[in-house]
Amino acid sequence: MESVSYQRFPKIKIREMKDDYLKFELRETDASMANALRRVMIAEVPTIAIDLVEIEVNSSVLNDEFIAHRLGLIPLTSERAMGMRFSRDCDACDGDGQCEYCSVEFHLRAKCITDQTLDVTSKDLYSSDHAVTPVDFSDPSDDNDPFEHTETQRGIIIVKLRRGQELRLRAIARKGIGKDHAKWSPAATVTFMYEPEIHINEDLMETLTLEEKLSWIESSPTKVFDIDKVTQQVVVVDPEAYTYDDEVIKKAEAMGKRGLIDIRAKEDSFIFTVESTGAIKASQLVLNAIEILKQKLDAVRLSDDTVEADDQFGELGVHMRGG
Amino acid sequence: MVVVQADSLSEENVVDHLIDKQKHAAAPVKSAVDKFQLLPEFLKVRGLVKQHLDSFNYFINIGIKKIVRANDRIVSTVDPSLYLRFTDVKIGKPSMVVDAISEQITPHMCRLSDTTYAAPIWVNIEYISGSHGRKEKMIKNDVVIGRMPIMLRSCCCVLSGKNEAELARLGECPLDPGGYFVVKGTEKVILIQEQLSKNRIIIDNDKKGNINASVTSSTEATKSKTVILMEKEKMYLCLNQFAKKIPIMVVMKAMGMESDQEVVQMVGRDPRYSALLLPSIEECASHGVYTREQALEYLEAMVKRSTYSSSSTEKQENRALAILRDVFIANVPVRKNNFRPKCIYVAVMLRRMMEALLNKDAMDDKDYVGNKRLELSGQLISLLFEDLFKTMITEVQKIADALLVKQNRSSRFDFSQYIVRDSITNGLERALSTGNWDVKRFRMNRKGVTQVLVRLSYMASLGHMTRISPQFEKSRKVSGPRALQPSQWGMLCPCDTPEGEACGLVKNLALMTHVTTDEEESPLISLCKCLGVEDLELLSGEELHTPNSFLVIFNGLILGKHRRPHQFANAMRKLRRAGKIGEFVSVFVNEKQRAVYIASDGGRVCRPLVIADKGVSRIKEHHMRELMDGARTFDDFLHEGLIEYLDVNEENNALIALYEWEATPETTHIEIEPFTILGVVAGLIPYPHHNQSPRNTYQCAMGKQAMGNIAYNQLGRMDSLLYLLVYPQRPLLTTRTIELVGYDKLGAGQNATVAVMSYSGYDIEDAIVMNKASLDRGFGRCIVLKKYTCTNQKYENGASDRILRPRKNEERERVLDDDGLAAPGEIIRHGDIYINKESPIETRGPLKSAAALADVKYRPCAQIFKGTEGESCVVDRVALCSDKNNNLCIKYKIRHTRRPEVGDKFSSRHGQKGVCGTIIQQEDFPFSERGICPDLIMNPHGFPSRMTVGKMIELLGGKAGVSCGRFHYGSAFGEPSGHADRVEAISETLVKHGFSYNGKDFIYSGITGCPLQAYIFMGPIYYQKLKHMVLDKMHARGSGPRVMLTRQPTDGRARNGGLRVGEMEKDCLVAYGTSMLLYERLMVSSDQFEAQVCRACGLLGYYNQKLKAAMCTTCKNGDKVSTMKLPYACKLLIQELQSMNIVPRLRLAEA
Repeated sequence: MESVSYQRFPKIKIREMKDDYLKFELRETDASMANALRRVMIAEVPTIAIDLVEIEVNSSVLNDEFIAHRLGLIPLTSERAMGMRFSRDCDACDGDGQCEYCSVEFHLRAKCITDQTLDVTSKDLYSSDHAVTPVDFSDPSDDNDPFEHTETQRGIIIVKLRRGQELRLRAIARKGIGKDHAKWSPAATVTFMYEPEIHINEDLMETLTLEEKLSWIESSPTKVFDIDKVTQQVVVVDPEAYTYDDEVIKKAEAMGKRGLIDIRAKEDSFIFTVESTGAIKASQLVLNAIEILKQKLDAVRLSDDTVEADDQFGELGVHMRGG
Repeated sequence: MVVVQADSLSEENVVDHLIDKQKHAAAPVKSAVDKFQLLPEFLKVRGLVKQHLDSFNYFINIGIKKIVRANDRIVSTVDPSLYLRFTDVKIGKPSMVVDAISEQITPHMCRLSDTTYAAPIWVNIEYISGSHGRKEKMIKNDVVIGRMPIMLRSCCCVLSGKNEAELARLGECPLDPGGYFVVKGTEKVILIQEQLSKNRIIIDNDKKGNINASVTSSTEATKSKTVILMEKEKMYLCLNQFAKKIPIMVVMKAMGMESDQEVVQMVGRDPRYSALLLPSIEECASHGVYTREQALEYLEAMVKRSTYSSSSTEKQENRALAILRDVFIANVPVRKNNFRPKCIYVAVMLRRMMEALLNKDAMDDKDYVGNKRLELSGQLISLLFEDLFKTMITEVQKIADALLVKQNRSSRFDFSQYIVRDSITNGLERALSTGNWDVKRFRMNRKGVTQVLVRLSYMASLGHMTRISPQFEKSRKVSGPRALQPSQWGMLCPCDTPEGEACGLVKNLALMTHVTTDEEESPLISLCKCLGVEDLELLSGEELHTPNSFLVIFNGLILGKHRRPHQFANAMRKLRRAGKIGEFVSVFVNEKQRAVYIASDGGRVCRPLVIADKGVSRIKEHHMRELMDGARTFDDFLHEGLIEYLDVNEENNALIALYEWEATPETTHIEIEPFTILGVVAGLIPYPHHNQSPRNTYQCAMGKQAMGNIAYNQLGRMDSLLYLLVYPQRPLLTTRTIELVGYDKLGAGQNATVAVMSYSGYDIEDAIVMNKASLDRGFGRCIVLKKYTCTNQKYENGASDRILRPRKNEERERVLDDDGLAAPGEIIRHGDIYINKESPIETRGPLKSAAALADVKYRPCAQIFKGTEGESCVVDRVALCSDKNNNLCIKYKIRHTRRPEVGDKFSSRHGQKGVCGTIIQQEDFPFSERGICPDLIMNPHGFPSRMTVGKMIELLGGKAGVSCGRFHYGSAFGEPSGHADRVEAISETLVKHGFSYNGKDFIYSGITGCPLQAYIFMGPIYYQKLKHMVLDKMHARGSGPRVMLTRQPTDGRARNGGLRVGEMEKDCLVAYGTSMLLYERLMVSSDQFEAQVCRACGLLGYYNQKLKAAMCTTCKNGDKVSTMKLPYACKLLIQELQSMNIVPRLRLAEA
């Protein structure tokens, strides 16, 4: 059966890009595509996180599970993650997840010998692989960080030790995805919004006095509209600040000017905001997500031929078939 | 999830912190003078459990001395010149005697080592010792007569007056309020006992609707209950000692009031009263009682003859008079046979009864808080001590007499040797640890006076300490005592009461309530007389009730009358404000009863109020400023007469304005803060005044079950069960009470971002949908610590248990260390051995020598860990100590960290509990365009019927709080005084930060990516995880253990029991006609038994294994024996009936 092709070619326009922040437009596609991308970014882009902790000495106030949980949540730089193996299907180590292909070993040794409290932070974690280290937030290139204090920004605090307390452990970090545990999720915030299309009925607007215009502008909780100082006309300054709260529409109705404004969401264009935990760069996160999405779609396409799919995608194929 | 870390280990002073906070917390409305600051000051001087501490301190400093002074002599009856006198008594510092050396102890040591935190009772004695005529007066100081359990943080406690650092060094939590005892290692609270006030006239209706006046008298010597009852217009006296009720006029005559006119005069010459009295007078005459002698004779005949009394008839003659003197209204003393005060007292009782008859308003209300007294730990212990002390004295006397009777004693007689040590110590310890107050001497037999302090959460322990246990038993189906009394205002919390049978009976103190202790009476009496009270003795009956005068009643005793009662009352109050008399003395002018009541007795509830002159508050701006600067304390306010304590009765003479701006010229007092009408536990509800009242009550019950931090020393404690939250937070929407009591430092919950919407269908019936990523990140994660104890017993024959080294490669002994005990940090699973112990087989017999002990046979007696299958726990810590009998005691703390799962119970602070219905992946969760994704989803159906508007405001306030970075407040009734943020202000903040003013957000579905049809109400709400978790409750069984006797499956989860097909379930199956299922459930899967029944005799036989044939025991053959199946319980019944000589015969028919 030959079907009509609905194939479209989505376009991406990057608005703003930092290491851990990305804002881009996704156009000429629909919500299912945008949402799939979002979901993959949250749940299926692999990263590396501490998964197994062997505690040698722990005389701190926090118990072993507590510390293990905290270690797990520390983001590790995971550029390697896409190329790594899941420890469960690693051939090199029979699945115990301790080999170099599927795991990274960390060591932590801290003992407080002074009267001052010792903060054990992510910087005290020593990695066996220089590519996989705890994320360093005190980025030297980012000097204008208002929260940066040289003393406090030592990393993520794991535990505080007082005199005589000691913490010694070995941790194994593995590759994983956010679906299994949130610690593997590379995304801090992934969200999108429909791009609003705002049409001001200029004729009706001209019937308003300046005070009325101002009060109408004020009614929006976000700064979407403003008044042009010269022409005293209402202009849209930032359509994306609009939160679909309908306040201006309600206000217009309350003023008896129904149809003063028409706001519609563009069904086919989305504005994405992606913030990364630091594990991978936000831009890489999007690329990886697209890669994984492509793999998943390939798996769907090949699903008739299960054996072939298994060869090509490993467990991903099984996963796609609902296995 | 919004993370606001509770700085639980901060060492700042609670109160200092608060003052700081107040400065930059923007108050929407500033009151004329912000009196709030008084509250932290008040709590600083008072603490949260001052009532317990005060009461106990009173007993330790004054009460015990009074008791000892009243019973200070032990005199030998054999030789009266031999005596022992207690000259002084005092309580030392808490200590323990170890190997005859007294060692100082701390409460935490006692908790850990299962000992009692007690201090020695030291007495100074003076006694005559000597023998054979040579007598010497001896003096000994600091003789220990026993050990008194010490209340934590009382004046004797090592913790009193310590600062935070010192407390931390002693292993104590600085936020722990004290007020409890440590007895044998467990923390025991003496509950506040509610009682009807003693020595007061209460006019009430009895069951038949007759008016009666009752007085429960209680003096040091006697306790009695006197009831005067009006029946068919005649008045009678009911007293236990008399067999029948006695006409009241007979009693009056017996007390010397022979003339009827005198009685009428005394009652009052109002013709209505005389008319009411007439039938009683006539009845008296009809009995032919005219003179005192006749009356006494009449009474004599009525006296109950006690069966065991063997005293002479001559002595019996005076019994009626003795009863009248000593038992009848015992609180009115008869001095030198002067019965006149008693007559007047009876006359007043009669007068009040007649008033009540004429005017129903004059009836007293038993449930009125002013008619109640709270009995606190000090009073209860003092009763116990008095009893034990007296018992000890009689015992010593007995021993002394027995020794002195012996003719040729060799040694000198020394009294001081016989002051027994153990009876007092043991008596006190036993009463405190069992809670049974069994004091025969005072006819007291109460159970459950003490309870183990609840350490489920910090709030639970605070709430436990303010709880008031009721006087009635809970079974009574009466509404009166359960109803909320208007007089409870400010004294008892209107919200905090349990649901169910104890509803309304068990109450809790409000935040500012103080309970008084006894105060010296005689100076107050003389003061009253100085202020113009006309003595009773100098008044004729006629003068007593002159229209322009008021009676003056002091602690239930009629002192006399005063012609200018208001001036008198004002004078007393002025003296009180000036600090010349105790601050808790209450002066109450009762216009209706034309009496001035002055009370200085203990157990009254009272609270501080700001004094206002003609409606103008005495507290001015500069006072508060001085307070802030630390130049002034709460006590200064009291001493300078700016603030005073009013009890419930005196509140009736006051006109109290809620706020300063509401005061009118008539106003006499102004409330300090309206939210102090709530108690500690109700105080943590934000915006409780916007909620439907039962919801607040539910929250009060649930707040005590919430997990969180217990105390700063929680990890050093050895509680038998401890629930802790991994990441407790302080609520984003706080109240002033939360800060005052320290809940912000020991929180029990987390701020969860809640979306109010329906999702997935797994959220019906209050279930909540949780975000898996939030749970991964630590939301609702908790630690459960359980204690396991094991003692290394020593036996009679000198043998003792031993602990062995573990064998290598033994799977079950994996967790053991070289010493045979499980090592801390080891993961322990079901079936693992945690102590590799062996016990000697032979434990009895004579003491064995060391050589013989070497070859004692042992049997293994390893302690096996019984956890849930598949659940892995961790050994948290192992503590070794020696117990009372010097056995080695090994305590284990086993820890289990749990993450929330489907079925765990959660609740907000508004009585909205719900279980986790399902856990959903983060990507499926709805999200806002800011990227906010809720932690949990709550169904909106929870709102309309519950009407918890407070929760909605909490959400709004919380949302505004996170967006502007300031904790918002929601104290009860706090909007006018600026202790609660108004919704308008909150909305403004929201709008400023780009949210909608109504707290609703535009949300996209996480599954489709499409926007939702409706705006979703979303924001942070403080959620509590409750202690009910599926893991502790879930239970299923295929087959398992059975009860020995009936062979039916055991009952209950703990015994891995079966699930019962009960009466109603059975009915369903019967009605459905599923007979095979019924048969299978009730028979095959239960206690099926194959029985041999003899068709000849119908009795049960047996199966002979040798002959391989069934036999009948009765017929002695196996001819007609059939095999049949029947429930084992039935077979048991047949045999039990047989054992009672009943022959149940089974008649079998072909089926």
